[in-house]
Amino acid sequence: MSDTPTLRIKNVSKHFETGKGRVTAVDDVSLDIRQGEFISIIGPSGCGKSTLMNMIGGLLTDYEGDIQLDGKKVSGCQPEIGMVFQEESTFPWRTAIENVTFPLEAAGLPKEKRLARAYELLDLVGLSGFENHFPSELSGGMRQRIAIARTLAFQPRILLMDEPFAALDEQTRHLLGDKVVQIQNQLKQTTLLITHNIAEAVQLSDRVLIMTFRPGRIKRVVEINLPRPRSSEMIGSEKFSAYVAEIWADLRQEASKGLKETEAAAAH
Amino acid sequence: MTQTLPPTLISRVMLYRVTAALVLLGLWEAAGASGLFFKGVLPSTLLIGKSFLRLMGDTLFWSHFNVTLFEILSGFAIGSTLGIIAGLALGMNRYAGHVLEPVVEYLAATPKVVFLPILLILFGIGVGSKISLAALSCFFPMSLSLAAGVRGIKPMFLRVGQTLNLTLLQRIRMIYLPALVPPISTGLRLGFGIATVGSLLSEIKLSNKGLGHAAMQAYARFDIPTMMAILIVIFALAGIGNMLIGRIVRLPGPHTRHNAN
Repeated sequence: MSDTPTLRIKNVSKHFETGKGRVTAVDDVSLDIRQGEFISIIGPSGCGKSTLMNMIGGLLTDYEGDIQLDGKKVSGCQPEIGMVFQEESTFPWRTAIENVTFPLEAAGLPKEKRLARAYELLDLVGLSGFENHFPSELSGGMRQRIAIARTLAFQPRILLMDEPFAALDEQTRHLLGDKVVQIQNQLKQTTLLITHNIAEAVQLSDRVLIMTFRPGRIKRVVEINLPRPRSSEMIGSEKFSAYVAEIWADLRQEASKGLKETEAAAAH
Repeated sequence: MTQTLPPTLISRVMLYRVTAALVLLGLWEAAGASGLFFKGVLPSTLLIGKSFLRLMGDTLFWSHFNVTLFEILSGFAIGSTLGIIAGLALGMNRYAGHVLEPVVEYLAATPKVVFLPILLILFGIGVGSKISLAALSCFFPMSLSLAAGVRGIKPMFLRVGQTLNLTLLQRIRMIYLPALVPPISTGLRLGFGIATVGSLLSEIKLSNKGLGHAAMQAYARFDIPTMMAILIVIFALAGIGNMLIGRIVRLPGPHTRHNAN
């Protein structure tokens, strides 16, 4: 890891005008992400996690503050910032391998090169042998891994993942976590993961950022000093549980604030 | 789209189809022989078959056939291409959709044959007016079906294109068009049928070439078997065209729920 940050987020805020007035979704968030680092952002629903991710990814550009990738301001989408979403995003008319070659086709890479890279990436996410299957023939977890491989195909400087496994069941999610750890070990991919799953955040991250409920601020940063390489076997360990408990203690206040407000809004 | 059925069911479906065809033929023969209709209006299938065979060896018939086929195919190609472009534009641009789509819908509901006098003035009584009527006919179902299809594309597919910073042409080629294969296929099949109607209608009205003209000539001679044989050729042409489009324009991969956007 080098000391100069790959991604620098400085005093970023985002307000939305709604019918009921101005809502601050993200409030003065600053964060430096170093090369090769894995960071998770965790927070209750409605804390502005996804808004933050969309700003970093360049999908939202009218915010206050500054977001820089390698010293250059992010002013729109760019393939150097790879995004994986929670929702299904594989193209059903393309096979697994054709899904992975999609960004390389757009970039005009010759066919042999893009196929070679796509084979490697499908192998990396544990899908070799399924190259010629269509997404409809694969499970949700496998489709999500195709989406990850597709995003990695462009060799992004930073990988943004917005609750990529939220739609999957608990067991699949842990095993996919192992896969992400393995990818992380091999590629040293700088990654920012958005999640509301504490175990997932602890299992994967170097640092976990806890966000407050509306307006979304960074409440606390927890350094996860668990040895690498990690795996889901760690989940039972004492140290792991201690981290989970520590994060939950902070998160609990925010989550209950969020719950109260949602219930109050529903009552009116 | 027809679902795949198990082989036992397929053979049963075939059995029903063949039976239905035989029953229809039987009814036709019975009605013709019953004397209830004016003599010769329902000629026997044998006579129609004979006329059909004679037509197959008749070079004049084939020149009519080629004219009609050329009109349908060129009108279909022009109308579908313009329909796809217009459909994409209407679907992708919210303002264009709001402003123009009601107009397109009203025009779509108008029988296109009312435009024939205008087209005759513009393109003359040759193939030009027939092709333009066929093109006009299949333009509307295609553009409307595609505009609706564009609005139905999963936003996530477009989001992927956006994060990769794809150009407009790349988005159309790599996301919109493949995602729109089902409505395009439907539009093409509808359009082919309507282009056929357009060509034949204008041939019947004002022409000295084409299958529509040949059928009307046979009618004028009261050569009903030949007229029927020509009608069979027209049915076959429309049916085969429809089937071929359905076979060719389809998504790769297994056809399941997941494929339908």
